[in-house]
Amino acid sequence: MRNTKKATILLAAMAVDAGSSGIVSGATPPPPIARVIEGDRALGEYLSGECVTCHQLSGNYDGIPSIVGWPAPWLVEAMNDFKAHKRANPVMQTIAGRYSAEEIAALAVYFESLMKQPPR
Amino acid sequence: MQTTRRSLLGGALAFAGAAVTGAPMVRGQAKPRVVVIGGGAGGATAARYIAKDSKGAVDVTLVEEGQTYQTCFFSNLYLGGFRSYESIVHRYDRLASEHGIRLAQQRAARIDRDKKTVLLADGSILPYDRLVVAPGIDLKYDSVPGWSREAEDLMPHAWKPGRQTQLLKARLDAVPDGGLIVMVAPPNPYRCPPGPYERVSMMAHVLKATGRTKCKIIIVDPKDRFSKMGLFQEGWEAHYPGMVEWLAPSVHDGIKSVDPKTNTVVTGFETYQAALVNVIPAQMAGAIAREAGLAGASGYCAIDPASMKSAVDPNVFVLGDACVAGDMPKSAFSANSQAKVAAMTIRAELTDSRAFPARYANTCWSLIETDDGVKVGGRYEPTPEKIKEVEGFVSKTGESKELRKQTYEESIGWYAGITADIFG
Repeated sequence: MRNTKKATILLAAMAVDAGSSGIVSGATPPPPIARVIEGDRALGEYLSGECVTCHQLSGNYDGIPSIVGWPAPWLVEAMNDFKAHKRANPVMQTIAGRYSAEEIAALAVYFESLMKQPPR
Repeated sequence: MQTTRRSLLGGALAFAGAAVTGAPMVRGQAKPRVVVIGGGAGGATAARYIAKDSKGAVDVTLVEEGQTYQTCFFSNLYLGGFRSYESIVHRYDRLASEHGIRLAQQRAARIDRDKKTVLLADGSILPYDRLVVAPGIDLKYDSVPGWSREAEDLMPHAWKPGRQTQLLKARLDAVPDGGLIVMVAPPNPYRCPPGPYERVSMMAHVLKATGRTKCKIIIVDPKDRFSKMGLFQEGWEAHYPGMVEWLAPSVHDGIKSVDPKTNTVVTGFETYQAALVNVIPAQMAGAIAREAGLAGASGYCAIDPASMKSAVDPNVFVLGDACVAGDMPKSAFSANSQAKVAAMTIRAELTDSRAFPARYANTCWSLIETDDGVKVGGRYEPTPEKIKEVEGFVSKTGESKELRKQTYEESIGWYAGITADIFG
């Protein structure tokens, strides 16, 4: 039985609900809420199949950046930025846009757990 | 060999089941067996992921006739002189050495779905619990009047990678300045939707780079429109003015015939005498899939969108160009993506590993001229009817040179990534 590594990730997310979208005179915007999400490494490993078509699992760079061994918060931030279209690449915007916060956390935990491989 | 708890337990249960129910002997195997037919982007990825993720709990055999694999993707860049031929050739060694996949360097002759066996050309028989069929395409040699298998060296298709790709390059290099090249484009659905038009771009690039700017390339197309049409047409006008002409059916009035001996192409509108004719014919699933009764009237194989299982046999999965993948194009990226869903499903069924919802992705990059790359892609999810696109994107006309260069560099990174993901 595989030992499933779990880690918790803090996600700062804007509180979005029906009430906060309406602009009310004098109302202050709701503060960001922090969500603690447990990264599901096994889910991350499955989902990573989509990433490693381009981002090499070896950590090699041939025109697409390595994400192997990234600290989990880096990947969460990058994915959230693509999701919010704060970063420009349409491939990544499309990919990140379909992931839930739980799925992003799972990916982050999985890639954090990997080590770069020595070049062949 | 390491004996896992899973295999011991699985074997004991299967043995007990066989004793009680008289199940076939294959159920009594300690390890479940998966046979994969076809060592391309779909098949090799499936074999690798099943073997890698099951860590020896599944016996995986990859049946592939070729000793090496030449990628169809990026073969246009070889044609354009951007890559060496060697750079698109890959070996299967690491699939065996790193993941314990058995390599059967044989042609798969027949599938017996009732007995759950695959007969190889040398007469040996491989039993399977699950079968992955990923043979790619076969060409419809009778789809262009006058063209045939015997004529494929006179009018090369180069739509299956290898010797034909090298032949097309040699023929391109021999076209004299002022010579005419005619491409007979394929009808839908076919392998690599932007491929013919990237190929035309690469041909024009080679002609221009070697000073043969009086040459002309005419595309006789059975389709009214094509993938990345606006992007290619903008690029052809900008980079190769007067060299590329695309003819829709309403303009050429039908492809009446070709004569490989005289290099002529006859349309309803005109007869072309060419220095080189590239016939890309209509296509269908590879013969092994069709002969096993997996393909429908379309010539391609219907699948369950949630698992990539054949619609007619739950023990068989069909991947890549051979299947009907709904909104997904026939591309290596698609096949690689589908393979991961199939591998996850197969492992879940055979080893009780966790199952996850299917999700699919694709991106197709094309090169129009040096550092002028474009892309189209999307994300896909299963619905009861088909694999449906849920989000998509395409490069825009008028993009900056910097962005186009980045897109090209991204495609180089993708090639390194996907070939490592397929072949290890």
